[in-house]
Amino acid sequence: MSVRLLAVAAVALAFAGPAAAACAHPKTSLTYLEGQVMCPTCHTTLDQSDAPAALRIERFIQQRIDQCATADEIRSELVANFGAGILAAPPRKGFDLLAWWLPIAGVLGGAALLGVGVWRWSRTREGDATPPEPGLDPDEERRLDDLLARLD
Amino acid sequence: MTARLKLAGQLVALACVAGLLSLLVWRLTHQQHAPKVGATAPAFTLRRLDGGGTVSLAALRGKPVVLNFWASWCIPCKTESKALEQAWTEYKGKGVAFLGVDFHDVTGDAKRFVASHALTFPMVQDGSGDVTGSYGITQVPETYVLDRRGNVLLHLAGPITDPAFASEFRQGLRRAVRS
Repeated sequence: MSVRLLAVAAVALAFAGPAAAACAHPKTSLTYLEGQVMCPTCHTTLDQSDAPAALRIERFIQQRIDQCATADEIRSELVANFGAGILAAPPRKGFDLLAWWLPIAGVLGGAALLGVGVWRWSRTREGDATPPEPGLDPDEERRLDDLLARLD
Repeated sequence: MTARLKLAGQLVALACVAGLLSLLVWRLTHQQHAPKVGATAPAFTLRRLDGGGTVSLAALRGKPVVLNFWASWCIPCKTESKALEQAWTEYKGKGVAFLGVDFHDVTGDAKRFVASHALTFPMVQDGSGDVTGSYGITQVPETYVLDRRGNVLLHLAGPITDPAFASEFRQGLRRAVRS
C-alpha cells in the first residue's frame, strides 16, 4: 500500500513541475518587447542595439518572461528601474500627451489647409472657364455700323 | 479673404519656425557638461542600491568624497573595483566618504556585481541617468574626488587603475583629506 502511495506521489510530483512552470496567461516575448524598450546608453531600441547595457536589459526581460511576468509588469519594472525614458513611446498622460496629439493635430491641420487650397483653386478654375464677354464701346459700335453699311 | 488667409498661413509658419528655433536654443544652452575642477559638484539625492533609503550629496558636506560612477555591464569597472575597495578601506578612517553611483543598470545585476566583488562602501542607483548626466559622464567608470566644501578636486574619465590615473587618484585623495 505504501509503495503504491509513493508511486502516486512520484507521478504527481513529475506533473507538478511543468504545471507550475506554465503561465496562467499567454506569454509575452522578447521580440515583442525589445522594440518598445530603449537602450539607455545608445538611445535606440533594444532590437537595434548590441550595447552591453541593452544586452543586460534583454536578459532581464527574458528572465521575467520565463517567470511568467506580463508585458505590462515588465514595462512597469523597467520604468521603476530606469525611469519613463526607458520606454520608446512616451506615456499617454500629462505633458507627454502632447507627443501623441501634436502629430494628429499637424495631420488634421495640414489636411484642412490642403482642403481649403483645393477648394479655392477649383473656384478659380470655374471662374476661368466662363470669362466675361467684352462688350463694344459706343465708338467701336459706330465704326462697325459704318463698315456694315458700306458692305450693303 | 485671400489676403487674410495668406497672412494667417505666414503667421503660422513663422510661429513654427520660432518654436523650432527656441527648441534649438534651449537644447544648446541646456547641454550637460562635466563640472570643472574647482566648481561645485551637482547636488543629488539617490536611492541606495540595497534599498535602505536614500543618500544625498549635501549630507556628506564637510567630508572629502569619492564619487565613482559604474555599471555592472562595464568591463573596466570590474578591474578597478578591487583598487576602489582597497582605497576605501585605507581612507575611510581618515574621514573620506566613498559613494558608488550605479547607472543605467538592472538592479539585480548591480546587486550581484557588488556582492561578487565584495564592495563594502555605500552604493546608490541612478537608473534614469539624470544625475550621471549632470556630471557629464560619457563612459564608465569615471571618478570624481570632491573636497570638504563639495567642490571638484579631480575628475578621472577612466578606471583609477589606469597607469595614467593611478598616482593622480592617490594624490587627489591626499589633497581631499587636507582640504
